[in-house]
Amino acid sequence: MVLIECRKLTKEYRKGDMVIRPLDGLDLDVEAGEFLALMGPSGSGKTTLLNLIAGIDSPTSGSLVIDGQDISKLSRSALANWRATYIGYIFQLYNLVPVLTAYENVELPLLLHKLSRKERHERVATALSLVGLADRHDHYPRQLSGGQEQRVAIARAIVADPKILVADEPTGDLDKASALAIMQLLQRLVRDLGKTLIMVTHDPNTAEFASRTLHLDKGRLVDQSGHATMEAVR
Amino acid sequence: MIAPKFMPLIVKQIVRNRTRTFLTVAGVATAMFLFIAVQAMHRGVMITTQQNAEDNLLIVYRQDRYCPFTSQLPQYYQQRITEIPGVVSVIPMRIIVNNCRTSLDVVTFRGVPDDDFLKHMAPTMDVIDGSIAEWERRSDAAIVGETLARRRGFKAGDSFDAAGVRVYVAGIVRSDEPQDQNVAYVKLDFLQQTVDRKLGTVTQFNVRVDDPKRMNEIAAAIDEMFATSEFPTATRSDKAFMAQAADEMIELVSFARYVGWASLAAVLALVGNAIVLSVQERIKEHAILQTLGFRGGLVGRLVVTEGLMLGLLGGAVGTVAAVLVVEWGQFSLSMDGLSIPIEVSSQLVIAGLLISMTLGVIGGLIPGWQASRRPIAGCFRAV
Ligand SMILES: Nc1ncnc2c1ncn2[C@@H]1O[C@H](COP(=O)(O)OP(=O)(O)O)[C@@H](O)[C@H]1O
Ligand SMILES: [Mg+2]
Repeated sequence: MVLIECRKLTKEYRKGDMVIRPLDGLDLDVEAGEFLALMGPSGSGKTTLLNLIAGIDSPTSGSLVIDGQDISKLSRSALANWRATYIGYIFQLYNLVPVLTAYENVELPLLLHKLSRKERHERVATALSLVGLADRHDHYPRQLSGGQEQRVAIARAIVADPKILVADEPTGDLDKASALAIMQLLQRLVRDLGKTLIMVTHDPNTAEFASRTLHLDKGRLVDQSGHATMEAVR
Repeated sequence: MIAPKFMPLIVKQIVRNRTRTFLTVAGVATAMFLFIAVQAMHRGVMITTQQNAEDNLLIVYRQDRYCPFTSQLPQYYQQRITEIPGVVSVIPMRIIVNNCRTSLDVVTFRGVPDDDFLKHMAPTMDVIDGSIAEWERRSDAAIVGETLARRRGFKAGDSFDAAGVRVYVAGIVRSDEPQDQNVAYVKLDFLQQTVDRKLGTVTQFNVRVDDPKRMNEIAAAIDEMFATSEFPTATRSDKAFMAQAADEMIELVSFARYVGWASLAAVLALVGNAIVLSVQERIKEHAILQTLGFRGGLVGRLVVTEGLMLGLLGGAVGTVAAVLVVEWGQFSLSMDGLSIPIEVSSQLVIAGLLISMTLGVIGGLIPGWQASRRPIAGCFRAV
């Protein structure tokens, strides 16, 4: 089943007279339960694509249908509600809130749902133990290593049980061992929890964990040799 | 406005930058203290000078004299004023002040005939220390108003000197009448003998009339009666008398009210500045919240609530400080032996808290609105 369907997806930014087009008529289908890796040179539009799929940016033209709904047509606040149920975003630099403990960071998305304090507690505890940090719930981000911070960020991304996870170079700032642990964790989320994961990476070894790898260049999908490709659409 | 489950988030943001929060709260507190103090003075002016329907007290003063040192009237006027129809009682008073100028700490003696005091004045007072009987018994006795007693630290049984008069504190009283709260009542003949070395001269007459509607008519009748005598009179309602006696003070207080309003503007600027800074620091954090699904409006409300909390915190500190200072100091503005009480009423406390909260909200509105509208994706790039 196709969960995410991008058609002629285009994003433009205007800077004075100049038009920058980080995405240029991109077509892409992503299956439910798929682990897709996106590779490509810096500036090729990877983050822009993730942001569109995550609903934190909107396309200039084209359509973006997710789970049967064209999210480019949603209002700003409807889109926020949609993100709360569909998307878990994992950043390269973790982006935890520094004044909140690991527990409070993970709890944040749950504050948007109708849950009792006790239910929230149970869910946070489950998410934290899933990432192996049950014993660090009262630590602040600055008291955690990079790998641990990223695991808290992953717990935050999955705690509200979204269908889609997007990860922008999630191991880009980590040492080898921590990166490996994070990749194994992400793989488990897809395999065991049935999440659909789209991950941007520079590193071919990291891309190995994915079930499919696509390459972006200048806002279009290309094949290994750099030619435009249609293989992204089924 | 915001669900309680979000409060820890807001509190952590406020506590996060302790120095800035402290400075903001201290600034807001100072400004609110000033505002409350000025309002308390203004309220005192209103109480003492605004006529109300049941007022029935006239003050008879020497014409064209405005200070107790110079207003001198023969005591025998008492009998003649009593004969005017509509007059219920006439109390002659000799007033001695240790300082005739505007001041926060003045001691005023009012000499009143024993019988008049016991019959007309003592019944309106609550004795909180000592006794009226003690006042009757001793010739140098004084009944001291609560405000004066607390300001000077007097207890029943003490003696004190002021304006060359030494008296014995027979009792301390509480009264709804602001003037009574701030004076020492002594016997008329005692005061005349000590100060004038003779009897027969008083400063003013306090005249009660039967019908408040006839105040002007009776005042005119009194002045008419003595118009051609050696000591002509000027009679006014006690509120009008206060208003003219304290006109400079009233003008000063009216001016001070502008300072009070300006201090509210300072509160707005302080909170606004603190919130603008904290929102600018947290552009990325707000983008994270929105990425998690927080709506822009919710982020804006979090910011506004932060402003509300800062305003409320500062307002509470400033208001409490004002209440404590006014309560401990027992201040009243005195001029020519008349006093304007300074009191922080509970309404004023509530108004102060509401105003500081409202200003906090207003200070947070623009930064909150900006935070709610900012495009999310761009915030992660601009580092
Ligand atoms: N908000 C923006 N304003 C202007 N240009 C932008 C903006 N976002 C992205 N771009 C430009 O779009 C291009 C693609 O960016 P990005 O998607 O971040 O690439 P990648 O993640 O592949 O490195 C870059 O040239 C970048 O400068
Ligand atoms: Mg990128």
